[in-house]
Amino acid sequence: MKLLLAEDEPDVQLIARLSLKRAGFQVVPVNNGLEVLERVGAEAPDAILLDWMMPDMDGFETCMRLKADPATRDIPVIFLTAKVQESEVARALALGAAGCIGKPFDALTLGQQVLTILGK
Amino acid sequence: MSLRGRIFAVIGLMVAAAFLQAGAVVWFETLRDSSGEAMMRAGQRFDHQTRMNRVVAQLENEHRSYLLIGLPVFRADFDRRWREYVNLPTLLVQYVDEEQDKKSVAEVDRQLQQWHQMVTDLMDRREQLADLPRVWQDQTAPPMRRIQNALDANQRRDFVLLNDQIRNASQLNFNNAIFTLALPAIDIIMLLVLVTVLARILLDPLAAIAESARQISGGNFDVRLPPARRDEIGALVKAFRDMSTAVQFRQRDLSSALSREREMSQMYSALRTNAEQESARLQATIATVPAALVILEAPSGRVVLQNTAADMLIGREPDAEADQQLYWESFHASYRDGRRCPVDEWGPRRALRGEVVVGQELIVKPQDGRTVPILVSAAPLRNDLGVITGAVAAFQDISNLYEIDRLKSEFVSIVSHELRTPLTSIKGSLQLLLTDVPMPDPDHRVLVDVALSNTDRLVRIINDILDISKIEAGKLELHPRPYDVHELVNLSIQSVGQIARGSSVALTPIVPPDIPKVNADPDRTIQAIVNLLSNALKCAPARSEVTLEVRSDPPGFVTVAIADRGRGIPAEKLSQLFQKFQQIDGADTRKLRGTGLGLAITKALVEMQGGSVGVTSEMGQGSTFWITIPVVK
Repeated sequence: MKLLLAEDEPDVQLIARLSLKRAGFQVVPVNNGLEVLERVGAEAPDAILLDWMMPDMDGFETCMRLKADPATRDIPVIFLTAKVQESEVARALALGAAGCIGKPFDALTLGQQVLTILGK
Repeated sequence: MSLRGRIFAVIGLMVAAAFLQAGAVVWFETLRDSSGEAMMRAGQRFDHQTRMNRVVAQLENEHRSYLLIGLPVFRADFDRRWREYVNLPTLLVQYVDEEQDKKSVAEVDRQLQQWHQMVTDLMDRREQLADLPRVWQDQTAPPMRRIQNALDANQRRDFVLLNDQIRNASQLNFNNAIFTLALPAIDIIMLLVLVTVLARILLDPLAAIAESARQISGGNFDVRLPPARRDEIGALVKAFRDMSTAVQFRQRDLSSALSREREMSQMYSALRTNAEQESARLQATIATVPAALVILEAPSGRVVLQNTAADMLIGREPDAEADQQLYWESFHASYRDGRRCPVDEWGPRRALRGEVVVGQELIVKPQDGRTVPILVSAAPLRNDLGVITGAVAAFQDISNLYEIDRLKSEFVSIVSHELRTPLTSIKGSLQLLLTDVPMPDPDHRVLVDVALSNTDRLVRIINDILDISKIEAGKLELHPRPYDVHELVNLSIQSVGQIARGSSVALTPIVPPDIPKVNADPDRTIQAIVNLLSNALKCAPARSEVTLEVRSDPPGFVTVAIADRGRGIPAEKLSQLFQKFQQIDGADTRKLRGTGLGLAITKALVEMQGGSVGVTSEMGQGSTFWITIPVVK
């Protein structure tokens, strides 16, 4: 299963990548939303993990654009965010996101959480 | 005597005097007439006497001529003279009044008759007589001389009488003239006297009264009035005196009233000055206080006073009445959650209806387009009777508070995010390290474990701080919905499963099967129960039991009670338990690893949903924490 992981913090990106790799995912890491939009066509991931707060283009806008584009509309988006407030989660779901995983996430169960959200 | 009587008396006197005057004139005329008559009589008498004397002298002359010369003509003349004479005494006596004089006339007549007898006799016998001159000289001349002397005496007397009468008459005439001339003078004098008297009896009192009136009008009541008399003037004087007294009393009343009034007026003006000063002070205070103050009048709601701060905050109310409603509407006041606040719900409007409004938080948009959060406080103004006459409203611009609030939220949000990011790295690294890297030395595992559990604790602290800051900011949103209590309990136990599994404490849920559904935000309710459960598990001694008992009571609520068999909490600490950063000191607490916020958050979450929290504890026996959750109605 191929995941596009957008995370601007290199350390967090590394941990998430290792954690997901350990769970058997193929992970394509990118550093911001713009890169997600650039790469999403070529990579055709099964799901996209988006950090909410990123430079250049944040997760919110990225998600909006992904959902606005018929080509990418159906790719599930999971937010990976330190903002675990209800309003943020609600906004994320309203945008069409599949779910939210709060930071700090559990490195041992991150892959499982993704699968749970994706319903697999 | 009355004045009218007096005036009539005076007029009567004048009439009497006029009659008297006329009488006097008549009397004087009579007197003058009689004196003229007397004078005429005296004149006649004197004429007759003189004629008599002249006739007697002629008789003497004729008889002498005849005696001595003897011419018959003389005798004829003599007889003619005699005939002239004989009537004269009778004539004369008519004019003689005095008896003595009548006698004297009669005596002279008698002597003259004798003489005539003798002379006639002698003349008849003239021829026979010798020495005629002797005869004349001795016989006829002597008696004739005596007669003539008597006649002369009579004539002289009559002359004197005539003169007397003439003098008398002329005196009378003179007196009459004097009297006639004097009458007008008397009239004038009488008039003067009358006028004087009238003036005295009429004008002087009036003048005195007039003078008194003048004095009184000048304020001098110490005036001398004419003595009271029993007439109209007296009545007038009395009336005037009464009036003067009354006026004096009135004046006294008036002046005391005036002085009272002056005092009142001074007092009033002092009060007014005072009030004006107070008002000025108040206005200056109102004008300069930083809070925006507005005073409205009831019932119109018009702004009667507005200070500078209010001008700057909400702008000036327009003068036109029609624009006022629009003016207030134009603020588009809304509550913090964005709901529109109708104009009638504005603090000042509520105050005009008698309500005291404290700290109504509104967000208004004045006409200049700003968005200003304000805190509105308003109170009605009432008069003595308790009728609402207006309202005073204070608006406080709380933009700064909002900004601080926003900054705080932002700060908390940023800090928590910034903290979470490294914590994510640390935690993930440690987890992966612990799981994937073989560690032959068990101490190394313990060290990584310590690092990991402290990372978890740090995450919990951050979460709790975020929660408490949201609760305090009123930004924590709850979404209550009907929820099954069994599921609540199961999810809560699942959440603490890790802690429970790691210890030897048994966690026993006791949930009646027929428990009703509750109306609650499941996530937040689970959070509250988890807080209590984790506290209980931490407090519970090894191999003891923690029970979670659900009861369907009190009415309308479900109670979730979590009991441990721990050391218990001292009674004096119980009341502080639900406050922030309160932890029970003691030997065990250091390993409990709480944040000091859990119970405060629990209390807030429960109370926000309409429930309550509580604790009972007995030292050595353990503690029971409970919450109530409203059931679905």
